[in-house]
Amino acid sequence: MRQLGPLGVFAIALVAAGVVPLIGSDYAVSFSIQLLIFLVLAYSWNLIGGYTGYTHFGQVAFFGIGAYVGSLLIFHWNVPWYLAMLAAALAGAIAALPLGGAMLRLKGPFFAIGMFGLARVLEAFALGFDGITQGGTGIYLKPLGDLKPLYCAVAAIAAVMMLLTWRLDNSRLGLKLLAIREDENAAESLGIPTTRLKIGAFVASAVAPAAMGCLYSVYLGFIDPPTAFASNIELTTIAMVLLGGMGTVLGPLLGAIVLSVVNEVLWANYPQIYLASVGVIVLLAVLFTPRGLVNIGMKGGWLALGRPLFRRSAQPASQSS
Amino acid sequence: MPVTELLIGGILLGGVYALMACGLNLIFGVMRVINFAHGDILAVAALSTVSIVVGFKLPFWLAVVLVPVGCALLGILIHMLILRRIESAPLIMSLLATYALSTILVNVAILIWGGGYSGLPGVLVGSVQLFGVNVSLSRLVSFLCAIGVSLAVWWLLQFTRFGRAVRSASQAPELASISGIAVDRIRLATFALGSGMAGLAGVLVAPAFAIDPQLGSRFIIKAFAVIIVGGMGSYPGAILAALLLGIVEVVGSYLAGAVIGSAFLFLLMLGVLLVRPRGLLGVGVRI
Repeated sequence: MRQLGPLGVFAIALVAAGVVPLIGSDYAVSFSIQLLIFLVLAYSWNLIGGYTGYTHFGQVAFFGIGAYVGSLLIFHWNVPWYLAMLAAALAGAIAALPLGGAMLRLKGPFFAIGMFGLARVLEAFALGFDGITQGGTGIYLKPLGDLKPLYCAVAAIAAVMMLLTWRLDNSRLGLKLLAIREDENAAESLGIPTTRLKIGAFVASAVAPAAMGCLYSVYLGFIDPPTAFASNIELTTIAMVLLGGMGTVLGPLLGAIVLSVVNEVLWANYPQIYLASVGVIVLLAVLFTPRGLVNIGMKGGWLALGRPLFRRSAQPASQSS
Repeated sequence: MPVTELLIGGILLGGVYALMACGLNLIFGVMRVINFAHGDILAVAALSTVSIVVGFKLPFWLAVVLVPVGCALLGILIHMLILRRIESAPLIMSLLATYALSTILVNVAILIWGGGYSGLPGVLVGSVQLFGVNVSLSRLVSFLCAIGVSLAVWWLLQFTRFGRAVRSASQAPELASISGIAVDRIRLATFALGSGMAGLAGVLVAPAFAIDPQLGSRFIIKAFAVIIVGGMGSYPGAILAALLLGIVEVVGSYLAGAVIGSAFLFLLMLGVLLVRPRGLLGVGVRI
């Protein structure tokens, strides 16, 4: 059997995505929308977390910004959801630019804590400024009758994210981002404008999540601060990228499909241990397959060989102080 | 604005933050691991205290002894099963592992104790006069215990053989290892000590606050804020910053309401991260 390259896998995914709304039930469409939303989140996280290697615990901040910008536009001015989504994406970019400039001066654990804290600040603001956001009561939107247009929008964005990642992986830009991950000082000394590229990757990884935040609230018909800034959305996204393979083209796709199915089964049968199960999956992935399913696939000969993660064995933590 | 009252309230609140943040800081200093599960160990400790006192009708002082020991054992388990195995992995792996551990602990706590709030009635009730201000006894005792233990651990680090070994393992692991210090065992002991400190903080929080399984995520960001403002790896910095942030939180809540007030802490943390990343007393830890 021939090995599958990224394009082959994408083609299969595209056909599958096209078939679902034609023959699938409402349930299948609804499940696929969730899967695709997480797919977009995972590909976005992969840009900053996988390629540049910055551990980002605050992606949900942009998801929440998008959710609130979109929901408020729809709620107050009856804006159609696709225009609200564009506005949300724009808001995500506008928020990410100065934040990236400031936060990316931090490295390693400082960046992780800073972004984690930022998401919590925004959640506190969403709760506290209840004159605008209706606080803990949340905002109720009119439910969409037909989910298929929403599905098409999410599928299109997911396809764009996959193609962008594939293009990135084969470009000088992608190599530059990987160089930042491997050794930022060395990259800088080779003339790579690390600050500009990092901020670019950060902003690029914030736009789609903001759009997804808006679509997610339209999909649910409801948004409140714990939903918009949910840490389980953050954890699930990261788990998908980690499980599939960080900094790879196919990793987020594999991770999102596997984990979405697992989550759906868990959520349907054992909702009370849902969070712990995702946590256990992350732990197992960290301990046993830190290079992800993609690496297993390449070793087994099913996937075409690509760029493995962490080529250079990373320095032990103790030596870096 | 009732200045004395706010100041005393803030300092008392800061005591518990100090104990918690010192444990977190100690673990970071020696292991270079940001323990996202630190707050959840505190929450589990607080909930266990409620179970011991209300459920089993045992005296409170027994919880003060038992729970921190239990948390230290939990810490040993976490270190042996997870953290020791990813010591040489990239930093992102330990961040992800403790983040995952945190959600597991929250979920397990919800399964055991339910998602609602519980409290500890009948322990350390009443109040005392302090500088003309009524102070609740539970908060005062919590503060004294927390600061006492934080200072005792500081003394341990500064003046004992074990403390010197911990500090050398933190500053120069290779040299410590060459000098005959079992760095692996020091790491294990540090993680156990840090987790035990989180456990004691949890016991002390129990009589003074409403407790639920999500308590950890609220406390962990405050502990992060404390160690960042104080300086990562700096022990006196953490104690100082804890008291400072206690005051900021109490004054902020008084001025702007509880929700926005607690956001002041994070804004202060973000500000310090951006302007002076090594913190007030930090020596500049390079990662």
